[in-house]
Amino acid sequence: MSKGEILAGYLAPHPPHLVYGENPPQNEPRSEGGWEQLRWAYERARKTLDDLKPDVLLVHSPHWITQVGHHFLGVPHLSGKSVDPIFPNLFRYQFELDVDVELAEACCEEAKGEGLVAKMMRNPKFRVDYGTITTLHMMRPQWDIPVVGISANNSPYYLQMEEGLEEMDRLGKATRRAIEGTGRRAVLLASNTLCHYHFSAEPDIPEDMSREHPQNYEGYKWDMRIIEMLRRGETDEVFRVLPRFIEESFAEIKSGAFTWMFAAMGYPRMPGELHGYGTVIGTGNAVMEWNLANHSGPIEVRDRPAPA
Amino acid sequence: MPIVSAFLVPGSPLPMLKPDNPPWRELVAAYDEAGELLAASAPDVIAIYSTQWMAVLDELWQTRAHVVGEHVDENWHEYGVMPFDMHIDTALTAACIERTNEFGIRSRGVDYDQFPVDSGTITATHFLNPGGRLPLVIAANNLYHDGAVTEQLAATVRQQADALGRRVALVGVGGLSGTIFRDDIDPNEDHLASPADDEENRRMLDLIAAGDAAAVRAALPAYARDAKADMGFKHMSWLLGGLGDGYESAQILGYGPAWGAGSAVVAFTP
Repeated sequence: MSKGEILAGYLAPHPPHLVYGENPPQNEPRSEGGWEQLRWAYERARKTLDDLKPDVLLVHSPHWITQVGHHFLGVPHLSGKSVDPIFPNLFRYQFELDVDVELAEACCEEAKGEGLVAKMMRNPKFRVDYGTITTLHMMRPQWDIPVVGISANNSPYYLQMEEGLEEMDRLGKATRRAIEGTGRRAVLLASNTLCHYHFSAEPDIPEDMSREHPQNYEGYKWDMRIIEMLRRGETDEVFRVLPRFIEESFAEIKSGAFTWMFAAMGYPRMPGELHGYGTVIGTGNAVMEWNLANHSGPIEVRDRPAPA
Repeated sequence: MPIVSAFLVPGSPLPMLKPDNPPWRELVAAYDEAGELLAASAPDVIAIYSTQWMAVLDELWQTRAHVVGEHVDENWHEYGVMPFDMHIDTALTAACIERTNEFGIRSRGVDYDQFPVDSGTITATHFLNPGGRLPLVIAANNLYHDGAVTEQLAATVRQQADALGRRVALVGVGGLSGTIFRDDIDPNEDHLASPADDEENRRMLDLIAAGDAAAVRAALPAYARDAKADMGFKHMSWLLGGLGDGYESAQILGYGPAWGAGSAVVAFTP
C-alpha cells in the first residue's frame, strides 16, 4: 500500500441558505435563489475537487457538538432527513452518505495516540448534523465520495480557547497520520464561517438579497484582513492573530475545524485560493482552497505557529 | 391560578438511557416521583422549557400537533435510541406566539416533520408524561435571551393559559453545575465534578426549598457564574416567571451527578 496523502484542504462554510438557494431535489423548501456569489464560489470549488479525484472527504463540523471526546462517524451507510434546528424553514434535506469506516477508525486510534479522548459513533439511527451535510452538498452534490465525519468537541468554548485549539492541532496531526497510514488520497473540509456576528431577524423573503450585507463592520474588516493573509500564504501571521480575530469577530473558526485542517496539512506557507466571499444573515463566509497536490516543490510539515 | 404544579428536572439523557446505573438511580426515582406528583395535580397541559433546544433567531415554539420519532443523542449515541411521542396544545401555543410581540420578542412556530427534538425535552417527557397522554407547550431556549426575558415567556404561558382556562404543569429542563468529566469515566463511579460545585448546588437547592422566590431570583446570577450553571440557569427563570409572585413550597426529590454535572429534581407547590 502506498503512503496516503492530503490532496487539498478547503474552507467550506455551511450556511444552509446556500442549499436553499440552489434548490436541489433533496431539499424540501423552494427558493427564488439568493447568495449567488457564494454558490458560484462553491461551483469553482466543486470543479477543482472533481479534478483531484480523492478517495475520501473528511469534514469537521461545529454542529456536531460533543462534550466527551472527539467523535467519528463509524457506520458504513447513513441516511435520513436532516432538519436545521435554527432554520427549519430553509433546510429539510434528505441525505444519504457512505462512510470510510476504516479511515475513521484509523483517525480515532491516532487521536487516542495523541492523548485525546476519541470515540467511534456506531449508532445506525444517528442523524448527521446539518453542518456536515451542507458542506458536503456544496462541495460534492453527487454524494459519490465516501466521507469521514468528525465532531467538534466543545473544548475551545468549555476550556480556555488556547487549550481547545491545541486539542484541534493534535486532532489534525492524528488525522494526517491516519490518512498516510491507510493509503488514502484525501481532501479536508473545514466547515467554518469567519465573522459570526449575525442579524437577529430574518427577512420575510429569506433570499431577498437587498437585505444581505455584513452585520458588523469591524468583523468584516477582520475577515478581509485574514483572507488577505491567507491569500498571501502568511500562515504564521494568521495563527499569530487568530485568538484576537476569534474574540473580536466572534469567528466560528473557534470551534476548531480551521485549526484541525491546517494542522493536518502541516501549516503550509502556501497561498490559498479564494473562490469567493459573501455574507449570510450578516455572517462572513469564504470558500478557499489550499491545493497541496498541485503545489510545485516540497511542502514542509510544520508545527502550529505560536499565537500572540 | 392556572399553574397547578411546577418542576425543575435534569436535561441529561443519561437517567433515561441507563436508568439502572447506581449513581443515576436517585435521579430516576425522583423523576418517577415527580411524574406521579404531576399527574396528581391534574393539569390540562405541560409547559416545557429545555436549555437544550437552542434557538438563535426569534423565540421558537413547537406547533406540530403530533411530534413522534426517535432521537440519538449527539454525545451519548453509544447508549441507544430515545423514542418520543408528543402531542402539542396548538391553541395555547398559538396564543403565546401571538402575545410575545407585546414585550418585543418575535416568536415563530415550528411545524416540521422530523424537526430535531432535543434530548432534554425527550428525557423530561419520558419520565413526566409517559405515553404522551397530556398535551404540551414547548418553548426554545433562545441563546440571546436573558433570565428576565425567559421569565416573561413563562409569564405569557401563564396568562394565556388563564385566558383559555387551562391548568398547567410548568417544567424547566436543565442542569445545575455545568462542569463535566471530559474523559471517559466508569459510569458506576460518577460523582459531582468537585466539592465546590456540590456546595454551590446544595446552597442553591436549600434556597429553593426555603420557598423564597425573591431570594432565589437574587442569588441566581452569582450561582450561575460560580457553578457554571447550565445555560445561566435560565430554566429556573422559566419557573420563576411562570410561578409569578412566588410559590408556597418546594421539595428536593433527588440530587446527583450526570457525568460530573449537577442534576436535581425539584417539585414546587404553587
